[in-house]
Amino acid sequence: MDTLHPASPALDRTTDPATPTIAVTRVAEHQWHAHEDDEVVGRGHAAHRPDGRLFISIDAWHEAVFHRLASAMLADLPRPLFTVVDEADTELTAAWLLADFSISRRERGYLLPTDPAVTGLGAVQPPAGVTIVPAGSADEHRLIALDRTIRAQVEATVGWQTMPAEVLRRPAGVTVLDPAAYTVAAQGSEYVGLLRLATVTRQPRIGLLAVRAEHQRRGIGRALLAHVLTQLHDQGTSRASGTAWAEVNEANAAATALFEGAGARHAATNLELVRR
Amino acid sequence: MSKKNGGIELEGTVLECLRSATFTVELANGHKVHAHISGKIRKNHIKILPYDRVLVELSPYDLTRGRIVFRYRS
Repeated sequence: MDTLHPASPALDRTTDPATPTIAVTRVAEHQWHAHEDDEVVGRGHAAHRPDGRLFISIDAWHEAVFHRLASAMLADLPRPLFTVVDEADTELTAAWLLADFSISRRERGYLLPTDPAVTGLGAVQPPAGVTIVPAGSADEHRLIALDRTIRAQVEATVGWQTMPAEVLRRPAGVTVLDPAAYTVAAQGSEYVGLLRLATVTRQPRIGLLAVRAEHQRRGIGRALLAHVLTQLHDQGTSRASGTAWAEVNEANAAATALFEGAGARHAATNLELVRR
Repeated sequence: MSKKNGGIELEGTVLECLRSATFTVELANGHKVHAHISGKIRKNHIKILPYDRVLVELSPYDLTRGRIVFRYRS
């Protein structure tokens, strides 16, 4: 994992007479402030994701301040650097592209209905020989083994960075933080697929849906999704909105087809930008 | 109301999600502002939904605009 340089007290002042005097200071290891006449007019922040990648963000009311902060941060930090923007925020996206970032990934946000009458998944059953182990009932050791197998398979092919973003901090080597959040597909005593659902937020979020490579294209992912959505509907967990949330890499055709086939509505697109 | 590091911050409630990644937020004083999400919130994949209680930093240049810098746990 990259490490950040210690905070630098150095100030970086603009000399362009057409713009106000802006001073950028690295106020902490992960924070930068832009000052104008002793007022903070912009902030920059950096943080590592659990996968080790360094993400930065900048909040500024003026483009000139944004670029002063970007210039200071990019000079301080090691590459590659990543950031996330909403595709609909065209001004911010343009500012990052001007700072030499490029689009590395497009992530669609989907609103998933939970009512079986809308999803059409009410009658979906797992394939022959496969059973669904409800959330909270999975054997932790087998679940962790399945998670590791799937991560290794994804890493060896498209790379884990193509999967939904993981932002929660966790101890080194731990990838299954809350076993009770997982619904699992089992074939005999073997676990072959999993779906992680976060329900602590006001809107349930599908954080991960994955099936072992040798068991894909059998309808296991669809059966997991059907089970979880129907359960949410029956329990009234998503009563306020009647929906769950999921993020899907736009390049993942199988996942987008699965969600859209269940009546998911494309609600937003996040762009992951990188400066290599 | 607080004034942290130069920006005026006010609590409010999200009324609706608009297109172009902005939200209508009703502030505690009854004023409504158009606010976008701070980069830090977006970076951490924190979702903002209607009825969420949030902290908004108002733009010093336009008091009808703001930036959501924190979402309170309900």
